[in-house]
Amino acid sequence: MTVLLALALGYTGLTCLALGMKRHHQELLGRKPTEARLRLFKAIGWLLLLATTAACLMLWPLGLALSMVPILVTLVGLPLIFLLPYRPALARHLAWALPLVAGGLAVGGLG
Amino acid sequence: MNGSLRQSMAWLHTWSGLLLGWLLVAVFVTGTSAYYREEISLWMEPELHQSTASDDTMDLAWQTLGRIAPEARSWDISLPDARNPAVQLRWQPAGEEQPRQGGGRNRGEQAWMDAGSGEVLTPRETRGGHFLYRFHFELYGVPRLWARWLICVATMFMLVAIISGVITHKKIFKDFFTFRPGKGQRSWLDAHNASAVLALPFHFMITYSGLLLFMVMLMPWGIDAAYDGDRRAFFDEAFPRSTEAPGPAGEPADMVAIGPLAEATAARFERPVSRIEVQHPNRENARIRISVEQDVAISGRRRGGSPTQVFQGSSGDLLETIEPSQAPAPLMGKVYNVMTNLHLVRFADPVVRLLFFFSGLAGSAMVATGMLLWVSKRTQQLRRQQPGAALKLVNGLNMASITGLLAAIGAYFAANRLLPTALAERSSWEIRVFFLVWLVSLVHGLLRPHRRGWIEQLAVITVLWLALPFVDMATTDSHLFSAAAWRLGALAGFDLICLLLGALWGYTLWRVARPKPDKRKPARARQPALAEGNT
Repeated sequence: MTVLLALALGYTGLTCLALGMKRHHQELLGRKPTEARLRLFKAIGWLLLLATTAACLMLWPLGLALSMVPILVTLVGLPLIFLLPYRPALARHLAWALPLVAGGLAVGGLG
Repeated sequence: MNGSLRQSMAWLHTWSGLLLGWLLVAVFVTGTSAYYREEISLWMEPELHQSTASDDTMDLAWQTLGRIAPEARSWDISLPDARNPAVQLRWQPAGEEQPRQGGGRNRGEQAWMDAGSGEVLTPRETRGGHFLYRFHFELYGVPRLWARWLICVATMFMLVAIISGVITHKKIFKDFFTFRPGKGQRSWLDAHNASAVLALPFHFMITYSGLLLFMVMLMPWGIDAAYDGDRRAFFDEAFPRSTEAPGPAGEPADMVAIGPLAEATAARFERPVSRIEVQHPNRENARIRISVEQDVAISGRRRGGSPTQVFQGSSGDLLETIEPSQAPAPLMGKVYNVMTNLHLVRFADPVVRLLFFFSGLAGSAMVATGMLLWVSKRTQQLRRQQPGAALKLVNGLNMASITGLLAAIGAYFAANRLLPTALAERSSWEIRVFFLVWLVSLVHGLLRPHRRGWIEQLAVITVLWLALPFVDMATTDSHLFSAAAWRLGALAGFDLICLLLGALWGYTLWRVARPKPDKRKPARARQPALAEGNT
């Protein structure tokens, strides 16, 4: 379990939460979402943030881990906010690519 | 009712933010640098860079202290660790203890030793990262108590600004991910909101824990009342530790070799030895305390409590083994510890430190965008009239507090490399360079027209920060392309961060300076307000 994976999960989680909002959904995917889809993305987003929390708990002792969750989310959220208007496609692709790369590195023991 | 509350909160947020923002940017930026104050100090003392620890390091330190301070009342040896390659030797000279000015224990003499050769190193005189660290909570050249009160009040208003900002923000969740580029004031507001809302837990934590640290420093009356003015008793209760007064020195006697004792301690705790303290060295009642690195729990104590073994100096007999303390701290102490540990990043994990560093940068950006937003809003209200004196003043102060401070810090690092090592009062001169550059940037910011001023200052800091690694290359043997820099990590990291930040300033310069295709409606300008100020 690596910090990179925790960061990647946080990024994807936040992107899913953004996809759960009408305006950003259109911005990112270019089509009008149904209510059900929005709810689905929101649920996935929160689940991924839970996974980030779990990853932090594996990395650090309890007190530090709980403090690190918002810090990690902040650090991946800021780039996301600026990617959304300028490079929506990149933001979308990073959301699936980052966890894959970070997960691969973690499995390979390189991260 | 709701509207008027929001309005008054907006007013409070705007003016407390603006008036204390200039100070808060400096506190945030220098405070962020303080996460790496040891590394900065190390970078600023290149004479220590070639030192490498070996198996003989402890014996060498033992011999060196025996040579330069055989009569001392106590010795204190800090061995090299991941953040410092050299050995720090401290000792209390023989004779009566001279109380330090302003109370507190005298720290005695100190010297640096090369961990590989045992020779005493004399690093160039510098305050290193500690100058920036100290600046972030007590400024410089101002009476300490006054400065601390000033920063404490600023911190308090930071908390006020955070809370009033949250109340003022109309759509905190709806606009959570929103950034609308190229819309002037709107974009600055979005950028300010983004850096503030997302990082709210960090800002709150760092501000609140800062206040807690100040509480004990500045407002001891509650503690005085509860403990009958015995502040020591509060600390003893909140952070218990053993206190033993050293007796008088005994007759001269030889001490045993340190190597086997240290090996025994390292084996007992299964960790390398980090520190050796000796009471009454070279006397029959000499006591040797050998400590290993301590795991810092987030709610653990700030100091003391390292696993330690105490030996009789003349015989080498083991007197006492002090286990890592398991005693649970009282709840009050725990809360205090968690907060202050988070503020001070008192855990060894380098990844956590880096993440805090980036969070600190985001925090600095949050304060800075808020101040730029103030100017942007009023520039847009001008509708192409000439800006008045107040706006010019605020803009000049913004420039000095943002680009000016960055120029001053860059100049401080450069001065460390370029000032002659033999210069009298060298460390003061480094600091003078820092303040001179800052002053020049303020004067420049007040005199130059709006947009040109920003462009010129951004150009200066870009060149300055990008040049730092090259100045390093020209003046030391531990630059980016040397083995020493990468062996220590911190040195290479310092130069790389300089390049990275220099590139960031350069990018900002490019965004500000490039010509606008359409003057009335800049397509995607990030600093449209700055552009319009010039017209």
